[in-house]
Order: sequence, then structure tokens, then C-alpha cells
Amino acid sequence: MTTPPESEATPEFIEKIRQRPIDGFALKNLASAGLTWLRTNQELVNALNVFPVPDGDTGTNMVLTMQSAFDEIKDSPEEHVGKTANDLAQGALMGARGNSGVILSQIWRGFARALDGHEVIDAPTLASAFAAARDTAYKGVVRPVEGTILTVAKDIASAAEAALENTQDPFEILEIVVEEAAASVERTPDLLDVLKDAGVVDSGGKGLYFIIEGMLRFSKGMPLDTAVASVKPLSALNFDDAMQTVEPGQDYEVVVDFRPTESLNLEKYFDALEDMGTSIQIGEGDGMYRMHIHVPTEKRYEPIDYTMGIGTITKVHIENLLAQMDELEKQRQEQPLKLTPVEPGQIAVVTVAPGPGFANVFASLGAAAIVEGGQTMNPSTQDILASFENLPTDKVIILPNNKNIIMAAKAATEVTVKQTAVIPSRTVPQGVSALLRLIPDGDFDAVVEDMTSALEDIETGEITTATRTVEIDGVNVQEGEIIVLHNGKLILSSDNLQNACFSFLEQADANEYELITMFYGVDIPKTEAFRIGDLIRETYPDHEIEVQNGGQPHYQFIISIE
Amino acid sequence: MKIAIVTDSTADIPQGIASQHNIEVIPAIIVMEGKSFEDGKGLSRQEFYEKMPTLEKLPTTATPSSGTFHKIYEKLFLNGTQSILSLHVASQLSGIYNTAKMAAQTFGERVHVIDSKSISMGLGFQVIAAAEATAEKLSAEKIIQRVKDIQRNVRVIAMLDTLENIRRSGRVSWATARIGSLLRIKLFVEVKDGAVLNLGQSRTRRKGVEHLKQLIQELGTVERLAILHSNAEADARQMLAELNLDLPKVPHVVNITPVIGTHVGANGLGVAAVLK
Repeated sequence: MTTPPESEATPEFIEKIRQRPIDGFALKNLASAGLTWLRTNQELVNALNVFPVPDGDTGTNMVLTMQSAFDEIKDSPEEHVGKTANDLAQGALMGARGNSGVILSQIWRGFARALDGHEVIDAPTLASAFAAARDTAYKGVVRPVEGTILTVAKDIASAAEAALENTQDPFEILEIVVEEAAASVERTPDLLDVLKDAGVVDSGGKGLYFIIEGMLRFSKGMPLDTAVASVKPLSALNFDDAMQTVEPGQDYEVVVDFRPTESLNLEKYFDALEDMGTSIQIGEGDGMYRMHIHVPTEKRYEPIDYTMGIGTITKVHIENLLAQMDELEKQRQEQPLKLTPVEPGQIAVVTVAPGPGFANVFASLGAAAIVEGGQTMNPSTQDILASFENLPTDKVIILPNNKNIIMAAKAATEVTVKQTAVIPSRTVPQGVSALLRLIPDGDFDAVVEDMTSALEDIETGEITTATRTVEIDGVNVQEGEIIVLHNGKLILSSDNLQNACFSFLEQADANEYELITMFYGVDIPKTEAFRIGDLIRETYPDHEIEVQNGGQPHYQFIISIE
Repeated sequence: MKIAIVTDSTADIPQGIASQHNIEVIPAIIVMEGKSFEDGKGLSRQEFYEKMPTLEKLPTTATPSSGTFHKIYEKLFLNGTQSILSLHVASQLSGIYNTAKMAAQTFGERVHVIDSKSISMGLGFQVIAAAEATAEKLSAEKIIQRVKDIQRNVRVIAMLDTLENIRRSGRVSWATARIGSLLRIKLFVEVKDGAVLNLGQSRTRRKGVEHLKQLIQELGTVERLAILHSNAEADARQMLAELNLDLPKVPHVVNITPVIGTHVGANGLGVAAVLK
């Protein structure tokens, strides 16, 4: 068997491959190349697997399927292409794993069926084999979904058929087909929203692309054992993502803009960069290149020096990554909330949050919309209405989380055509407790009832500073003292925050419960909040203690006990 | 007519019962730290659950190859089986059903592949019912009918100790869409018609178990029950005792397979029930 060359092959070698008729022996080499190239890029395909897929990793599943196909023919001396293809298909069938693997095996089966009785593959046979592959693949799936490997198989077949008008060389057809497959893979997010949302192309389609690209690369004598450096359009470079994976030894980010003096040998450039650092990305636009790399401190000038040797540098940017990380972290905190998507017919919950920390907590528990507001900044009916009018469902539950907001929330329900209900939560922890009971697909009235009953499941403590001297509910308070409200009722005052927390926990019978959650406000430093949390943990060793950023104004702590 | 029953290891059928009824159980595959294990071989359930929290990357799962199914079917036919019922985990949750169907193609009408639309003992009860029916010498059609009847009455509900595994596993779209929870929560789910539904959340385990018990009591009249847990046997037995159900048979207490466990996390509790 001819071994695919390790590096750039001689023109004679390529000529030999391309002039030979594609018999069973040649198909074996092509299948081997397809498998090798897919395996080389396996992790890249696996990485696309971010969307709910029934099984494991697509790249791995496809490699195992392809491996099983190739194992069936690797020791066979068969020269009849129809018979070789049939064996390949049989091997793929036996080794099929995961949905993409199953479809891949169907593709081979169709491909083989069209070659039945053929000794060699000529251009028309190749086109008809791609067509049969498409048909079998579609038939093998109960409900075909576009934007997947199926679509890529379909586009391959169409491209092969169209190419027949211009060429009778099967390798030229392969070349056209690979080009179309690449474009087809890029189009998958336009056909399948889940891909678009995840910001990826379809993994199965990409896997299929690598298989045929591997065949083409073999026929051109290109190496198959190293994943090729890919060049993205400048606009697609995303350095933020690269940032999230900073590891030790990646101290500096270096970005170099340059114009190569001669046409850029990308693989050589990549190899050189790989010796210097990681997270390498190269973008191109209008003959202008941008290179991005993470390097350890001592190598921070090397990428620049090297690039200077191959072109004219127009701009250099060096940044200390750790400092940059802090900056990103800050930006991330200021980013808009990620709320839970709600579907038509589901129940959406809108909740009032008195600070960004609480807004995040509510979002993480499944709230569909958040209205800012609280004790001294009551949102209007209009604010509440606006938060849910555009949600794609007509079932809405509102959590006001403050006794002064309940009225406005109720007013909002009277001016909307949606089915709405207000759960009269008077504190933020009550709102959290109620939101936990949300069953998005449940019966509206039953969910409202259940969420309302959850208000009683939790004890709330609100800790703030008295704004004037007063006596309420038998408690004497001096202006400036720390005061504690238990479920809205003033229960004690204290001269310091820590004592106030402990007195509250004692009076609220925290011993009887399991979990204490301390939401700290904007007015106390995180370190102070965690220090008090640690003290509470010592006093209540059997309890779970969580300390969270509530971000509320005026209240040092909002505490829930449950 | 000799009819054989095949299932996969996500059915969680206790070994004794599987061998008693001659049920062929095809192991699903779990991939942990780059090593793959056939479910039940080389990695005990306890070992798995103890190791899982220490791993940087969640273990992943894979379907057995269609060749594995093919070989088992072939072996059964060579041993005189005339018809095979192959029952598997909900096709919406795993590729196993499709892989089995693929392998079955070669054998035509002789292999019936059935989508249980359920998981763990929710599938297991359907398989056991099928095996019992073969002992009564019923026809394949009659057995399938009986399985479908059970399927309509099967319920699986569970409390997951954390949202994280199901969110990161990517199999349940609503959970995947959620951002990670800032607060520690328990998540209640139901597997119904092959889909995983959200039944709410709770903050503390004690309240969570109470809520789960309430959900179980609201199920209706239970004919068969299995208590499911992901390495929380003591809690599972305690819950069973507290439920104080009047059952015709002693329920199985099952430590669920790692193949499901990696998607739901450790310390989960639940039930699979067949209702009257």
C-alpha cells in the first residue's frame, strides 16, 4: 500500500496518484487518508459538540466509525472498486457509533451501492455515488434536519453533479466537492438556530468535510498528520475567548499586524510560532495579516522579531495578560444579565431585584425578566409592564419582593392582556423561595398556588442602619444604630453589624433550620461579608452557610434562613 | 416460538433479575479520563461516583457500536431464537435506540426495536414485563402490546442534588440554556414520553426530600416501584421507609448506572414506578 507522504510530495508522486484509475486499491488509500485527516482534526470536531447531542463526542464517534470501515479493507488485496466500497460500507455499518456515525455509515452504504459492479471510479460514477450517498443518508433518518451532516452530503452531491459539465477528471470533481462542502459547513448555522445560538458550525458536517478533504489532500500529496493552521477573516478573530483559557506560562499577549513580503507560508509560520507560545490565531484581510499569540515573559519579543523577517510590521501590541484578565472580569460583571429563555406557552417569572447581585441570582434560578428596584426605588407599573410585555409567552407571574411594590405589580396585571398573577412576596428571600417552585410547563393556577405557599417556607432578616431615633414595636433605636427586621418587623438594634447578625440568627431560631444565606449589600466590603460568614459558620457548624453578593443599597445584609 | 429480550445497561435491571429472565443486557460505554469502560466492567458504580467530583471534565458516554448489537442478535438467532424484542433508553436522550435499529435492519422483521421513552428502571420495568410475557408464551405482537401498556403507566421522577451535571451534559435543552446557579439548589425532574421535564427546585436537601416524597405520593396507585439513587443508598432506604407505601412487592433499591449518573450527578434520589 502506498503510504501517504509525511511532507510535501514530489510532483511525480502526485502525478502517479492522479493518473492511476481509481480502483479498489486507490479507494483504500483514499479511505485511509480520509480517516487519518479526520483523526488529526478529531478534537476540532469534538469541540463543536456544544449543543445537545445524543451521544458523546461527534469527532470521536465518526473516527471510530471510519476506523471500523477502514479495518474491513486494510488487509484486503481487492482491486475491484465496487467490492472494496461494499466492504467499507459493511465495516462502517458494524462500527457505527452515535448519530453522526450512523449517518456516515449510511453515506458509505449509498456510495457503495452506486459502485456495485464497477471496477473503477470515473467522473460520472463518482457523481452518481455521491448522489446515492445523499439519498441513503436521508432515508436513514426518520425526521431529517437541515443544517446537519445531511445537508452537507446533499450539497456535495449537487456540486459533483454540476461539476460533471466541466470536467471528466474525478480528482477535479473531488476538488470542487471539497470546496462546496466547506461552504456548506459554514452555512449550517443559517439553517439550524441551535448552531447559530451556540456560535458553531455543525460537527457532523465538519467531520464529513474532513474525510473528503483528507482524500483530496492525499491526492495532492499534502500532509495528513498535522492539523493545518487555519486563517480566519479578521472580523472573526475573537481574543476574548482565547483569554478565558490563559494558563501558567502565558504571561503576555502579543498581537502583530503585518504585510508579508512574499506569499505567506502559513504552516511554516505556525510551526515557528508554536515554539514560542500558545493560543495562536492568524487573521487575514486584504493581504494584511494579524497574528495573536500568548507567550511567557522571556519570549515576549520573539514573535515580533520572527515576523519582521517575513514581512513589514505595521503595528505591534503587547499586553500583560494577568492585568488584562482582571479587566475582563470587571467587564464581565458589567455585562447584561443572561436570563432564562422562555418559550410560548410556558410560564415566565418577572422579578424585582434591589441590586445587580440579586438580579444575577434570580437569573440563575430561571427568571425570564428582571426589574430593578427595591426599598427606596420602587419601580412603576409601567416599568413592570415593560419588562414582560415583549416576552414570547402570555403566562406571567410577578414577584414584587417588597411590600411597597405589590400594588404597582397588581396594577400592571390589570392593563395587560396576558394571563398574569402577582405572588405577594414582601422580601427578596421570599421571592427566591417562590421562584424555586416555578414549573415552567405546569398548570398556571397550580404553579401560582404552590409559589404562593412557598413564601412561608423562609425566614427573612434585613439589616440596615437606623436613619433616626425612634421606638417601634417596643424596640428603642438610636439614629446610626444597626437595626434588624425579621420578616418585616423590627426586632432589635445593636451597635455593630456582627452582633446584629448573630442576635438575629438567635432570635429567628436559626438552630432549627439547615441553610443560612447572607446576601451582602453595596455598602459593605466583600471581605467583611465573608469574615462574618466565616464566624457564623463556626457558630453553626451543622448548617450550610452561603455568602452571596446581593448588591442592594442601604441594607448591609439581607439574610434568609430555611 | 422462542422470543429473546434484549436491552441496554441504562435499564438498571438488577443482575439477578436479568439472569433469571435470560435478558441480554448490552453495556453502554462510559469515558472517564480518556479511558473507556463498558458499563459494569472494570469500574464499579461506587468507584465511579466517588471519583466523579474530583474530575476536571465530566465523564462522557457513548453508545455501543451497531456491530455489538449485531453480534448479540446473531448469537441469539444461532441459538434458536426466532424473534427478538430489543428495548432501549428513550431515543430523545441517547443514540442507543438508533444504533440498535441500524443493527436490526439486517434481520428484517425478526428484530423489533422498541423506544421505551423512559430511562433506568422506567425502561427496566418494561423489559421485565416483556421477559415475563415470554414465559407465558405470548406472541411478539402481544408482548409488544403489553410493553406499550406498561409504557403508558411508567413514571420516573427524581431530585438531582445539583443543576450542574444536567446543565453541562447538554442533553436537556432547557437545562443547558440556564446559566449555572449561583445558589446551591436541588432540581426536580420527570422523564415523560422520552423528554425530561422541569418540576421545580429547592434549596435544602431536607426540604427537597420532603418535596420528592410528596411528588411520589401524588403519583397514584403504584403497582411496582424502584427507588433510584446515584450513590446515596442510605438516603434512598430512609426515604423508602418514610414513604411507608403499601406495595405488592418489595421495591428494588438501585444505584443508577454511571452512564446516567454523569448526566445527573451524585447524591440524586428518585423513583421509577408503574401505576395501576
